[in-house]
Amino acid sequence: MKRVQFEHSAVPYLFVAPQILIISIFFLWPAAQALYQSFLLEDAFGMSSQFVWFRNFEDVLSSSSWSRSAIFTVVFSVLVSVLSIAISLFLAVRADEVIRGAKSYKTLLMWGYAIAPPVAGLLGNMLFNPLMGDLYFAFNSFGFEFNHIENANDAAFVVILIAVWKQVSVNFIFFLSGLQGIPKSVQEAATLDCKSPERRFWTITFPLLAPTTFFLLVINLTYAFFETFGIIDVSTKGAPGGSTATLVYKVYVDGFLGADMGGSAAQSVLLMIMVSILTVFQFRFIERKVHY
Amino acid sequence: MATVTINQAEKTYPNGYKAIHGINLAIENGEFTVLVGPSGCGKSTLLRMIAGLEGISSGEISIDDRVVNKVAPADRDIAMVFQNYALYPHMNNYNNMAYGLRNRGYSKSEIDNKVRDAARILQLEELLERKPGQLSGGQRQRVAMGRAIVRQPKVFLFDEPLSNLDAKLRVDMRLEIKNLQQRLGITSVYVTHDQVEAMTLADRLIVMNGGVAEQIGSPIEIYEKPATQFVAGFIGSPAMNFLTGTVSDDRTHVTVGDGVKLDLDHDVEAGRTVTVGIRPEHLTLVDAQEGRINAEVRMVESLGAETLAYLDFGANADSVTLRVQGTHQFAKNEKLSLSVAADKIHLFDAQSGKRI
Repeated sequence: MKRVQFEHSAVPYLFVAPQILIISIFFLWPAAQALYQSFLLEDAFGMSSQFVWFRNFEDVLSSSSWSRSAIFTVVFSVLVSVLSIAISLFLAVRADEVIRGAKSYKTLLMWGYAIAPPVAGLLGNMLFNPLMGDLYFAFNSFGFEFNHIENANDAAFVVILIAVWKQVSVNFIFFLSGLQGIPKSVQEAATLDCKSPERRFWTITFPLLAPTTFFLLVINLTYAFFETFGIIDVSTKGAPGGSTATLVYKVYVDGFLGADMGGSAAQSVLLMIMVSILTVFQFRFIERKVHY
Repeated sequence: MATVTINQAEKTYPNGYKAIHGINLAIENGEFTVLVGPSGCGKSTLLRMIAGLEGISSGEISIDDRVVNKVAPADRDIAMVFQNYALYPHMNNYNNMAYGLRNRGYSKSEIDNKVRDAARILQLEELLERKPGQLSGGQRQRVAMGRAIVRQPKVFLFDEPLSNLDAKLRVDMRLEIKNLQQRLGITSVYVTHDQVEAMTLADRLIVMNGGVAEQIGSPIEIYEKPATQFVAGFIGSPAMNFLTGTVSDDRTHVTVGDGVKLDLDHDVEAGRTVTVGIRPEHLTLVDAQEGRINAEVRMVESLGAETLAYLDFGANADSVTLRVQGTHQFAKNEKLSLSVAADKIHLFDAQSGKRI
């Protein structure tokens, strides 16, 4: 093969330079920093530090609070992703069928997208406030002994509810455009071939939405892992007793509030490894099934 | 095998637009009916009403004497072939054809027999494991046909099935569809805007315009005796020439342009203003003479088997198209004289456009 030789010039490098600069400053450098710090142990005042090899990792992996947080993160992420995908798929399918007033339905359902996670957290905080929260009163008046300040499950429920509510609108937009991307004539051909709308949905519509669903699964898991930080920080702050602290939140709590820089750095390195594995898994195994 | 009866069917959309203005039609058992018309004439809407994809605002549509107005599309026992094939992209071709049968509770072996039979008829046996995305346009159209014939429905509906194919393939598929329909003897309704398809496929042709059936008849009937000026202009290519004329006092001829006299054997009152229709193939070249169409060549199209000449004549530069067999060397601005036999002249009312 003949290779095309361009004249060497600095111009192409200039074009990619801003991106490389951004990645270096905001990703590569902090990641390297975290990796380096994860091998260090600082004294209580941060005056000196000592290279300790893998001791921070040993401490983290053997601590019960970390494994509890890891389990919570997995449960939380799966629940948030599955629930928000299921709810938004249902809403998108229904909104797609609406003819009259379709625009207002869709706009209202998309509104939540404009709300920042901390604001959503604040809304949740107020709705569940024991002194003035409407949902707090509502649950208790139905006879649930709802107390998210003390009960870990109730607290998890609050965080999941807010996180799902916040994410539904994003998923809704993608599902709606995915539905509109299915040719109308294919849907019509299906109505001639299959009488039951439910069966039609599961055999035609849903498989054709599979690429959208896969994409959203990736986006939602990432969201639940990282972007729910704001929601947790404003609503429960990981309470009670760290039971609603995701791994990301725990990195922040241990590192910046607990001043355990080495341990916190080790946690974030572990987090990085987990996310890499998750990404590889998703693309290897799930994406293979959604191609058509 | 079935009959389709359409009784005063109308379609009004929620926004008040009336797409179909009361159509009556009885399609016989095994008949190949073609709906033809310009875009927006309501032909596809009518087909979709038969399929059940569009509601019927008033009137009735029956298949085999059963009124189907409220029957779900899947229960009407019809199959439809769509313009863009509408195959299920995530299923292979076998499953595309089997899908409708599975939902109707056929056993696995029955489905397999039917699908393989259809695949053999349509020469798709090699392609059953592939997905629609891996096929060419013609092959996809074949799979779509296969999906329709495996169910052995009462009625086939075709919605411009050939318009996405290239010209050569279109001719092949046209013959194939005609063949298949005759072999299976299934009542068919076919929508097209292509008048060649319409003429060649139809047992009976329905020319639609503005939501009304302008004329219903065999293709030759419609070609020879168009009921309205619209039908006359729509069927036949190149289109019929139209000239405004006045019937002479002795009713033996009609005067068009500036003093061109055309012989007439119609029963029409003297002095009436009419539209004279002459097909390009019915104009004949004659010697120049007073009172004949003495025209000048503007443009020539040589198609090999025939030659088309676009001419104009008279002070008003009325234009006519001439069609002659074989190749003719017409020069630009060449003077030609044309005549037409009295029995080849169509007369239409100048106002209503109705045939006289």
